[in-house]
Amino acid sequence: MMDFNNRQWLNYMMKHPVDGFENMRWKKAGSVKYAIVIILFWFLASIFENRLYGFQFRAEPDKIFNIIPHFVRTILLFLTWTAGNWAVCTLLDGKGTMKQIFIYSAYAMLPYVISIYAEIMLSHILIREEQIVIDMIHLTGISWTALLLFSAVRTMHQYTFRKTLSAICLTVFTMLIILCLLVLLLVLFQQIYNFIFAIYTEIAYRLKV
Amino acid sequence: MKKSAVIMMIILFCSGSMLTVHAEEHYDVYIYDRWDEAVSSQAGYTAERSVSGIDLGTEAFSEPADIFRDKQGQFLIADTKNNRIVITDSELTKTIRILKECTDKNGKRTMLKSPEGIYVSPETEQIYIADYGNERVLVCDPDGNLLIEIIKPETALFSQELPFLPKKVIADKAGNIYIILENITEGAAMFSPDGVFLGFYGANTIEETPARKLEYFWKSLITEQMRSRTARTIPAGITNFDLDQEGFIYTCTQSISQKKDTVKKLNPAGTNLFSSLGTVWGDMESVYDANTNKTYQSMLCDIEISEDGNINCLDLAQGRIFQYDKEGNLLFIFGASGDQLGCFTEVRALESSENQIFVLDSAKNSITIFHETDFGKAVHKAEALYNNGYYEESLMPWYEVLQYDGRYRRAFLGISAGLLVKGEYKDSMKYAKLADSPERYDKAFKCYRSEWLSAHSRILTIMFLLIIGDSILKWHRKRRKQHDGFQ
Repeated sequence: MMDFNNRQWLNYMMKHPVDGFENMRWKKAGSVKYAIVIILFWFLASIFENRLYGFQFRAEPDKIFNIIPHFVRTILLFLTWTAGNWAVCTLLDGKGTMKQIFIYSAYAMLPYVISIYAEIMLSHILIREEQIVIDMIHLTGISWTALLLFSAVRTMHQYTFRKTLSAICLTVFTMLIILCLLVLLLVLFQQIYNFIFAIYTEIAYRLKV
Repeated sequence: MKKSAVIMMIILFCSGSMLTVHAEEHYDVYIYDRWDEAVSSQAGYTAERSVSGIDLGTEAFSEPADIFRDKQGQFLIADTKNNRIVITDSELTKTIRILKECTDKNGKRTMLKSPEGIYVSPETEQIYIADYGNERVLVCDPDGNLLIEIIKPETALFSQELPFLPKKVIADKAGNIYIILENITEGAAMFSPDGVFLGFYGANTIEETPARKLEYFWKSLITEQMRSRTARTIPAGITNFDLDQEGFIYTCTQSISQKKDTVKKLNPAGTNLFSSLGTVWGDMESVYDANTNKTYQSMLCDIEISEDGNINCLDLAQGRIFQYDKEGNLLFIFGASGDQLGCFTEVRALESSENQIFVLDSAKNSITIFHETDFGKAVHKAEALYNNGYYEESLMPWYEVLQYDGRYRRAFLGISAGLLVKGEYKDSMKYAKLADSPERYDKAFKCYRSEWLSAHSRILTIMFLLIIGDSILKWHRKRRKQHDGFQ
C-alpha cells in the first residue's frame, strides 16, 4: 500500500487533509526538491499576480515594479515560518525536524499557490461584475492551505489539537520577533557600511591633498 | 530621386509642424497625469495682452479687487483704492463710464468707498456693489440710481459686535442677494430681494482628520465649563463665489489649512454636489521654492463659471489659473508668478468670455487677457461633445487633441468611450489601457467578450459536448475495469 512517487504523494496529501500527512510521515515521503519548487512557484505567482492580472481588475495604477516586496512576502516569509516553527516546537517537545517542517509546510502551501494561478487565468475572462468567482477561489485556496498547514504542524510534531493551536500562535509571534531582529540587523549593517565608507572617503581625500 | 526625397521631407516637416504649438509662454505648461504627477503639456490659453487703467483712457488702477463681465460684454472693474467702478467696452480698449457715487430717491448723492465686489444681474441689469469702506452693499440701476442699501442686519442671528465688511456680492435669478463678509465663517449672508436678512448659506465643513476626531473625543469627556475655555475648530470662510447658467452657486475657499471643500457646487438647499467628486482643486501638492525659501500651496481666491460650464479657478499663491470641465476634470493649467506677460504678482479676480479669460492683478494694477489656443479649442470642442453624451461625435476632436498632446489622458478616455459606442470593442480596450482606466476597460471587455462568445458559440458548444462525452466514456471504461477486476 501507498507506494506513491513524489507527485502522487502531493496529489494524495492535498485530497486527504486529515490523515494525508500522517501517512506521509509513516512512509517517510516528501522531497526537499519538490518543496523548493512549490515555494518558487509561489514567488512567481506573487509576481504574476502583480504583472499579468486582468487589466479590468487592476485596483490601483502601478508605475514602478519592485521585486523585493514579493520576495519578502513569499520566500522570506516562508523561511521565517520554518525557522520560527522549529524554534518553538523544539522547546514544546515537537517531534519534527527542520527538514520535515520545511517540506510539510511547503506541501501545505500548494492549494493556495494553485488558487493564485487559477485567479490570474480567470481574471482575463471575467468582468468586474463576476468578481465573486475570483473571491471564492481565493477564499477556498486560503482555507484549504490553512487546514493543511494545521494538519502538517499537528502531524510532524505529534501534537494534540489544542497544543497545535498554541504552537501556531507562538510561531507567528516568533516570526514577528525574527523579522524585527532582521530589520535591526539590516540597519546595523547599513550603519557599518556608512562608517567604513566615511573612513574610506576621508583617507582618499587625505591622500589626494 | 534625391530632389523628390528632399521635397517629401519638407512636406512631412511642414505637415508635422502645422499642428505644433510653439512654446510662447514664459513658464512651463504642465498638467497632472494619471499618477497625479505634473507632466509637461500644451498650453490651452496663451497671454495676448495686458491692459492697465491708462490704456483704458483713465487714471491708473489702484489695487482693483474685482472684475465682472455683464450680459452685453461690458466690463465692470471695482477699482478699490480709487473708490470707483470703471465700466469699459467689451474689447477692453476704452472706458465708457466711471461710477463713483449713487443717487438715492431723494436726490442725495452717496460716494463709494473702497468697493471690493461688483455684480450685474443678467435678468434685471441691476448693479450690486460691495461697498467695503462704508460697510454696506448697494443695489442700483444701470444709471446709478440707488434702489436698496443693505447694512448690518439687527437680528440675533448676526453677531452685533462684528463690523459688516462685504467683500463679494452676487444675486441669483430670484433676486436673492448673497454677500461674502470678511470676518464671517458661517458662509455667505443671504438677503431677500428687498434687503431683508434671511440667514447664512453654504458654510464649509471641517475635514474629519484623525487628530480632529481625537480632539472631539477628549472634548466630549470634559465639562461644559472647561470646554468653553478650549479653542474651537472652525472651518475657513468662503472666499469667492459665482453663479452658473443653471443657477447653481459655486464657492471657493482660500486657505492653507483647509483641504476639503475648497471648491463647492451648491444646490438651493446648500448641499455640496461636489462632495463625492474626489477632485483635488488646484495644485496636487505644495511646492517648495528654493529661491524664496517658501512652500506654496494653492489658495483659490476666485472661481468663475464660463458660459459652456467650465470652471475656472484662480490660485493666489502661484498666480495660476486652473480650468476644469463641469464634471471637475482638469483641462488646463496656465499662468505663473512673475513679471512677464501672462505672469502675475497678486491675482485677485478672473472673468471669462467665449474664448478669452481675463485676470485682474491688484499689484500690477492691470488686466491680462488670455486667448484660447488651437489646442484649447480642440479640447473644448471634444470635451463639450463628450460631456453632453455625444461620444461617437467626439471621436474626431479627441484624435485631434492627441495630435497636439500625445499623452493628454482625457483624450484616451474619450476615444475609448467613443469606440465603445461605435462597437469597436477591441480598440476601445486598447485606448482604455492607454488611459490606464480599469473601469473603462471593464466596460469594453464586457462587450468584447459577449461578442466573441456569440461569434464562437457553435464551436464552443461542440467542444463542450466533446469534453463531456469523453469524460463519460472514461468513467464508464474505468468502472468496467474495476468490475472485471473484482470478478
